Amino acid sequence: QLIPLFVIIGSGGVGAGLYLMRLAMFNPDVSWDKKNNPEPWNKMSPSDQYKLYSVNMDYSRLKKDRPDF
Amino acid sequence: MANHSQLTLQDAASPIMEELVQFHDHAMMVALAICSLVLYLLTLVLSEKLSSSTVDAQAIELVWTILPAAVLIALALPSLRILYLMDEVNEPDLTLKAIGHQWYWSYEYTDFKDLTFDSYMTPTTDLPLGHFRLLEVDHRVIVPTESTVRVIVTADDVLHSWAVPSLGVKTDAIPGRLNQTSFLANRVGVFYGQCSEICGANHSFMPIVVESVPLANFESWSSLTSS
Repeated sequence: QLIPLFVIIGSGGVGAGLYLMRLAMFNPDVSWDKKNNPEPWNKMSPSDQYKLYSVNMDYSRLKKDRPDF
Repeated sequence: MANHSQLTLQDAASPIMEELVQFHDHAMMVALAICSLVLYLLTLVLSEKLSSSTVDAQAIELVWTILPAAVLIALALPSLRILYLMDEVNEPDLTLKAIGHQWYWSYEYTDFKDLTFDSYMTPTTDLPLGHFRLLEVDHRVIVPTESTVRVIVTADDVLHSWAVPSLGVKTDAIPGRLNQTSFLANRVGVFYGQCSEICGANHSFMPIVVESVPLANFESWSSLTSS
């Protein structure tokens, strides 16, 4: 009788955990390795998509016309 | 601009604002449906036409959990879509700096050579007949139509906020910080807004006026004013 409860709460928990992992690994605002990669936010390129969902914009086609940091 | 008896949002002048207006209509329908259902059930309960003698409520509890969850998802999906849409970086054609001071805005078009001006509110005593009180300025922000404009907002002294409701733009102006927003005016027109962060005595008297003109007119204006 309680199966739907477990399914819904379980999928919510798993989804939250997965998103947390995504944030930890791919968010340019976090820095794990202070020696080799202290400030990853300085390495953002205009052709990368950083957010989870892009409605209209195809970031891979943007040109990179600025100097490197 | 807003009328004194206006109930709805101002007419949209940018694609983002159109999306926001549509979402508002959608959310309003959901809210009205829920309110009328609750009101109806309330009248049934108060006139004693609704009663319950059940002890096992499993089925109805499932219904009144799943249905609100579905409604919330129907609200969340369009909302998140618009949120992500507003945040997109979309190759602006023009960059404009809006700097808030006490109690006026100054604008810098640094794509051009030396195009900078201050924008003070027109005092009511100097207001020509037919113009909007407390909304007109001496120098309007001119932008070309159908061009993505990036606005970098900051402040010189205290907090301000650069807001133009028809374009769906409101960005806080914080001293020492650059905030970026962008809009696209999809029709010619004059769009009014007001400073949206309390900044002192004349906070209500530092409006923002954006005038969108065809590209040819914008180019002639910018070459005229920057020389």
